[in-house]
Amino acid sequence: MSLLETRDLVYTYAPRTPFEKTALKQVSVAIEEGELVGVIGHTGSGKSTLIQHLNGLLRPTAGQVLLDGKDIWEEPKKIRAVRFAVGMVFQYPEHQLFEETVYKDIAFGPKNQGLSEEKIDSRVREAAKAVELSDDLLEKSPFELSGGQKRRVAIAGVMAMRPRILILDEPTAGLDPRGRDRVLRLIRQYRDAHNTTVILVSHSMEDVARIADRVLVMNGGEVAMLDTAANVFSRGEELTEMGLSVPAVTRIWMELRKRGLDVGENVYTVAQAAERLLPLLKGGDARVD
Amino acid sequence: MEMLRTENLRFQYEYEEEAPTLVLDDLNLTIEEGSFVALLGHNGSGKSTLAKHFNAIQLPTGGRVLVRDMDTADESLCLKIRQTVGMVLQNPDNQLVSTIVEEDVAFGPENLGIPPAEIAQRVTDALQLVGMEAYRDHAPHKLSGGQKQRVAIAGILAMQPDCLVLDEPTAMLDPQGRKEVLETVRRLNRERGMTVVLITHYMEEAAQADRVVVMDDGHILRDGTPKEVFACVEELRAVALDVPQPTELCHLLRKAGIDLPSDVLTVEECVDALLKYKGVGE
Repeated sequence: MSLLETRDLVYTYAPRTPFEKTALKQVSVAIEEGELVGVIGHTGSGKSTLIQHLNGLLRPTAGQVLLDGKDIWEEPKKIRAVRFAVGMVFQYPEHQLFEETVYKDIAFGPKNQGLSEEKIDSRVREAAKAVELSDDLLEKSPFELSGGQKRRVAIAGVMAMRPRILILDEPTAGLDPRGRDRVLRLIRQYRDAHNTTVILVSHSMEDVARIADRVLVMNGGEVAMLDTAANVFSRGEELTEMGLSVPAVTRIWMELRKRGLDVGENVYTVAQAAERLLPLLKGGDARVD
Repeated sequence: MEMLRTENLRFQYEYEEEAPTLVLDDLNLTIEEGSFVALLGHNGSGKSTLAKHFNAIQLPTGGRVLVRDMDTADESLCLKIRQTVGMVLQNPDNQLVSTIVEEDVAFGPENLGIPPAEIAQRVTDALQLVGMEAYRDHAPHKLSGGQKQRVAIAGILAMQPDCLVLDEPTAMLDPQGRKEVLETVRRLNRERGMTVVLITHYMEEAAQADRVVVMDDGHILRDGTPKEVFACVEELRAVALDVPQPTELCHLLRKAGIDLPSDVLTVEECVDALLKYKGVGE
């Protein structure tokens, strides 16, 4: 049994009106415990609609969302428990910071879970540590922090609820390269430390290629691919046809092959590319030092 | 001719209780009319503060900033300076003021006291320039991010500036929106001779500029063509910036002893260099 599953999930916006639009068409995916899944797809592909179903923010028009094999809408009154189990970090989550101090902001979630003061304290400190916020920042106002710090506070606020599944919608959007690398590294570390399932939605193929175990590609409200990063990026031509921008190194690979150089299956990180090209360039050629 | 010039520009934020923080330190930069300059630097490097000096949103603590020889510290020139240099910001939602696209674009020229007949003409021209004339009667909040940002740019164009300063205009957009905005900006530069200063974290965007200026800690670290600047892979890394993937790949291979050019920027150039090295297709 998978930890989280959707079965023939259908969602229609504004049904029975002239604006009716089916955003999800029979989507069936299964996500296992401890996996880090990247979700890609261009705007309008249905990826946001899909993730909003995973913690019950949207209710399916048809089909099911199963957590531990149980339909999350079986008892609609208990949907709150699902939202504690499936934590969601929205796009630009720092816009939602509101408390007087960083500490209180991170504590908001666990407090709503009805935990004891003591427990809340340990959760806050643990989450702050997980996103590398130093203790002296905890008593500051979140509005005094830099953009990257605010982003990490917002992520910690969800981590402090210890969800079994952590969903992040574009967690690196708008960050500079340093902030982006840090957030990605922290997400990966957090997963490794807690074996929490992570679902990461991103427009950046480079980000997804770097950290995801499996990649879910959405297109036109349907699942186009759900496979390892290597297998997904080996279908670079198809991704390009869907209007997705594959990493530049993958494009280099596709072009080399087209022009007659046998470079093998697609790569998706620069390090991989260099490693694979080196023997190829050195071998059979005298121009090596 | 010079569009923008900073002379020993210093800027610091003053606080009541804490020591001031120096953001720009003795900065000298000249931007020629009609050029397309990308400004890079990690957050906190001072690039946005510098951008705000270009149309007198912020004034120097020391030194001066000249916009077409007009000193930004001279208050009587402020309106003229802001008509010369238009500013586009990161979040399109913060820049749209009206509920109909054409009214939004008309907001700037209305405030400049332009006669109504001319405003209508300017709105039409501006929307055409950004490829949004079909959305004239639409509601801005229903547009995609890239479309919104193009409307925001049209709103600036309707004031007929000679220089556009864009502060991470694509940071909040999806890849499609990013492409739309960048193509619009490039076209304005090429076809209209608009001077463009583009602040971005996307190195592929910077690679399309005529000139790249890298800032670090309130200074200019590097200034040159994209090929010259991105060839300094290690140095850019040291200040937490990326280089385009093709550049990085060739850099790694060169370090391993493969004789490849150091100024590769694009996928095509990289493929050509690799095939040439391998002796394929010659």
